[in-house]
Amino acid sequence: MAELVAVVAASHAPLLARDWDLFDEPLKARVGAAYRTLGAHLAAARPDAIVAIGPDHWTNFFLDNLPSACVGVGAVHGGPPEPFMAGFGRETLAGDAALGSHLVATALATGFEPSISHRLKLDHGFCLPLWRMELDPLPPIVPLVLNCLEPPMPSIARCAAWGRLLARAIATFPGPARIAILASGGLSHSIGEPSMGTIDPAFDAACIAAFETGGDEAVATFLEEALPAAGNGGHEVRTWAVAHAAAGGNGFRLVDYLAIPQVYVGCAWATWTPTTKDDAL
Amino acid sequence: MNTDYALSKLFFDLQNPAAAAAYRADRAAVLARYELEPEVRRAVLADDVATLAPRVNPYLLRYYCSAAGMSDADFLAQIRRLG
Repeated sequence: MAELVAVVAASHAPLLARDWDLFDEPLKARVGAAYRTLGAHLAAARPDAIVAIGPDHWTNFFLDNLPSACVGVGAVHGGPPEPFMAGFGRETLAGDAALGSHLVATALATGFEPSISHRLKLDHGFCLPLWRMELDPLPPIVPLVLNCLEPPMPSIARCAAWGRLLARAIATFPGPARIAILASGGLSHSIGEPSMGTIDPAFDAACIAAFETGGDEAVATFLEEALPAAGNGGHEVRTWAVAHAAAGGNGFRLVDYLAIPQVYVGCAWATWTPTTKDDAL
Repeated sequence: MNTDYALSKLFFDLQNPAAAAAYRADRAAVLARYELEPEVRRAVLADDVATLAPRVNPYLLRYYCSAAGMSDADFLAQIRRLG
């Protein structure tokens, strides 16, 4: 059976691509180092595939059809369509159809009904961290898109349940595969609202403390109360709640935190030490 | 206020760079393809962020204003006035 070998989370921001060359060297060095630390952590775990959890920034889904959760089961995903992501240089990314299908089958067998997609486009939410982490080669990706942009959104408790489901699906995936998890999004930020540009370091610190010390219920209680005041972009912390639960809430380590007004985001990078396979079953 | 589907669809579609270029070249021609309420159409033509903001997802509003050619500074100034 497969093994969950690493769990990491990172913020993303379009301007970390579009305006990168405008930033001063210390900022680029610090942000680049944070992403590369996650990349080295992942590389050391030698993953055969990465389950990547992120929002969809109106790339695949619209008001016509807006799933709460969608699993990318394709063997190939489209690369980021945003022009500012051209530097990533990938028109497509490899998927892992077998792992994606196993995740969906495990979900359906245990009370989850995700949407599925055989050809997602992975926007900057997925690809900015993958780019900046400098993974080479880039393992196949199984995307889990969570609605973090348009209300109503999945509850934090449901996100935690998704995390436990991911751990269970990985632990029951036939074969010796080594699987990692990447969560992308948050922390506090506000986009297109009157509060746009506001970063809330106090929320971000409390959020980090919740992941450092809390179990799924404590994290859910904190986030359900605090997220509404953390800017609409803060809802992406749902992806971190998934990762936290997938790791059994174990071994959270903050790699770095930096409020970056130039990109409007309270940026954080972190790793977890996943609990053993038996705990996931 | 309820979400304005037609306005949201316009903003969603203009994420495509070619569509955005066509829109910047001839707004009226593109707008004719969307069933916008007259008040909303006027607001779009006037870059009236205050009227548009309650009707769409904030991310789509942000994307639209960029696609329409508004600078980040102009957008920030307009949206922050609504706070």
